[in-house]
Amino acid sequence: MVKLSEKLRQPNYRIAVVSIFVGALLAYWKPYVLIEGIQRAGLYAAIALPMALLMGVVGIVNLAHGDFMMLGAYFAYWVSVYGGVDPLLAIVPALAFFFLFGCIVYLGPFKRILQAPELNQILLAFGLMIVLVQSANLLWTSRFIKISLPYVSASTTVGSLTFGTFEFVYVVAAVTVLVGLQLFLKKTTWGQAALAVGQNPRGAKVVGIDVDRTHLIIFSVSIAIIGAMGALFLARHSISPFIGFPFTLRAFCLIAMAGIGNLTAILWVSLVLGLSENFVLSFFGYAGWADLIYFVLIITVIMIKSRQRQVK
Amino acid sequence: MKKWNFLLSALALAFVFFLPFCTSVYVLNVVGLILIQMTLALSWDLLLRSGQLSLGISGFFGLGVYTAALSCIHAKIHPLLGIFFGGLMGGLFALLIGVAVLHLRGMYFAIVTLALAEALRVIVRNVPTLSGGPEGMVLPSVIFHGDALKTYWLLLAWALLNIVISIFFEKSRIHFALTSIRNDEIVAESSGVDVFKYLVCIFVFSSSIQAVAGGMYAHIYGFISPESSFSFELVLLPIIMAVVGGVTTTWGPVVGAILLGSVAEILKVKIPYGHLLIYGIIIVIVVLFFPKGIMGTFKERMQTNK
Repeated sequence: MVKLSEKLRQPNYRIAVVSIFVGALLAYWKPYVLIEGIQRAGLYAAIALPMALLMGVVGIVNLAHGDFMMLGAYFAYWVSVYGGVDPLLAIVPALAFFFLFGCIVYLGPFKRILQAPELNQILLAFGLMIVLVQSANLLWTSRFIKISLPYVSASTTVGSLTFGTFEFVYVVAAVTVLVGLQLFLKKTTWGQAALAVGQNPRGAKVVGIDVDRTHLIIFSVSIAIIGAMGALFLARHSISPFIGFPFTLRAFCLIAMAGIGNLTAILWVSLVLGLSENFVLSFFGYAGWADLIYFVLIITVIMIKSRQRQVK
Repeated sequence: MKKWNFLLSALALAFVFFLPFCTSVYVLNVVGLILIQMTLALSWDLLLRSGQLSLGISGFFGLGVYTAALSCIHAKIHPLLGIFFGGLMGGLFALLIGVAVLHLRGMYFAIVTLALAEALRVIVRNVPTLSGGPEGMVLPSVIFHGDALKTYWLLLAWALLNIVISIFFEKSRIHFALTSIRNDEIVAESSGVDVFKYLVCIFVFSSSIQAVAGGMYAHIYGFISPESSFSFELVLLPIIMAVVGGVTTTWGPVVGAILLGSVAEILKVKIPYGHLLIYGIIIVIVVLFFPKGIMGTFKERMQTNK
C-alpha cells in the first residue's frame, strides 16, 4: 500500500488514475460518448500524427495539412468511381500517389517556403492553402460528395448497447501510423537522420546528413499518410473542398497539447479532445458548442505553459 | 522628392473629395468597400510592424459587425454609437485573448489567430436568440437611411483618420519599440523594451480598428450572417493588399488597396467562382518574387538613383 501512495504522487500515475476514473464514469453515465469519443479520437490522432512529424522534424506548421487530406479523399473518390475499386483499397494507390505529390510540392513551392524569412513563410503557407482549397473548389464544386458503402453501417450489440463498429478503423489507423512512424524513426537510417535534423539541423548538417533530402522525405511521408487518411475518411464521411481546414486546426490543437516532437502523447491527448467533443455533442441543443472545444484547449495550454515558464 | 509627395497627396485628396459629385452610386459603393478593406490592410500592417503576422482579421471584423448590429437591434441605440461599441468590444476582446496569444510567435501566433476567427464564428452560430444563428439577421434600417453620399464620407473619414494615425505612428516611440522587436526580440528586451506590453498595446489597437470597420460594414449593408462576417476573403484580401503594396509602410497598404480593390471588383464580376484562387496565386507569386511590394521596390529605386 505504501508503494501505491508513493506512485500516486508522480504526475503520470495521477493522470492515469484520473483518466481511468473519468472513463469508468462515462462508461456508466453515457456509454455512447465513451465509444464514439474513442472513435473520434482515433480519427483526430491519425490526422494529427503526420502533421506532428512534419512539425517536429522540419519545424514548420503545415497550414494546408487538412487540405491534403481533402485532396486524398477526392483522389480515392476518383479511384473508386472510375476504377471501380473500394475506397478502402484506394489507400494503397493514395499512399504512392501522395508520396510523389508530396515530392513535387516540396521541390516546387515548399522548398522555397522553408528558405524564406519567417513572415514570408507564413504568407506562403497561407497562400498554398488557399490555392489548394480553391483549385479543388473549381474542379469539383463545393457540393458535398458521399459514397455509400454497405459495411460502413456495420454494428454490434453488447448488452443493451448498439454501436457502429466500422469507425474503430480510425483507432486502428492511428495506432498503425504511430507504430509505423516510431519504427521508421528509430530503426531506419532515414528515420534516424530525420530525428537528428529535428533536434538540431545545423549539427545534423555538420555531421554529414543531407538536411534538404531529409526534409524532402519527411514532407513526402507526411503527405502520403495524410493522403491515404483521406481515402479512409471518404469511406465514412461526406466530403467537400472545405472539410480540411477544421481538421488542420484540431491537429494543431493536439500537437500543442502533446508538445512538439512527442508523437505518442498525441494518442492520449486526442482522447481528451475526442471524448470532450462527444460529451458536449451528447447534450441536445448544445451540440454546436463542440466545435469550440479545441480552441478553448489551445488557449488553456498556452496559458499553462506560459505560467510554467514564468515560474521557472 | 518631398515636393512630389506633397503634390501627389494633394491630388489624391482632391480626387476623393470631388469623386462623389461626378460618379454613380455604384462606383461610390465600390470605393466604399475598398476604403473598408484599406483600413483592414492598414491595421493588419500596424501589427505586422511588431513582427507578428495575424490571420485573424475576419475574427475581429466579425466581432465588430455583430456587436455594432446587435447593440442597435436589441438596445435600439444610434448606429454610430453601435459602431463605437463594436470597436470597444474588439479592443476588449483583443486584450483578453492577447494576454494568452501574444506569448506565441510566428507560425504559432498565425494559426491560433486563424482559429480565433473560426471560434468566434462558432459562438455566433450557437446563440441564435441573440445573433440570429446561421441564417443571420436583417437590421431594421441601414445607416443614414441608405444615403450613399453620407456613408461615403463616413468611410472616407475613417480611412483618412487611419492613414493619418499610421503616419504619425511611424514617428512615435511605440513604433521604434515595435521595429526593434521585429528586428530582434532578445536585443529589444535587453535594451529595456517591455516587449509584451507593446505587443498587447498594438494588438488591441489594430483589432479595434478592424472591429470599427466591421461595425461600419454591418450598418451599411444592413445584413449580418456568420458566413459573410467571418468570411475568409476578409483575411485574404487585406493581406494581399498590404503585401502587394509593400508591408511595414503607411503607403504600401493604401496603394495596394486601391490597386487590388479595383482588380478584385472586376474579378468578382468576370470570374465569380475562381477569384479566390487568383488571390492565392497572387500572394504566392508576390511573396516569392517581389517580397518588398510596390512601395518597397519604388523606394529602392529612388535610393539607387540618388
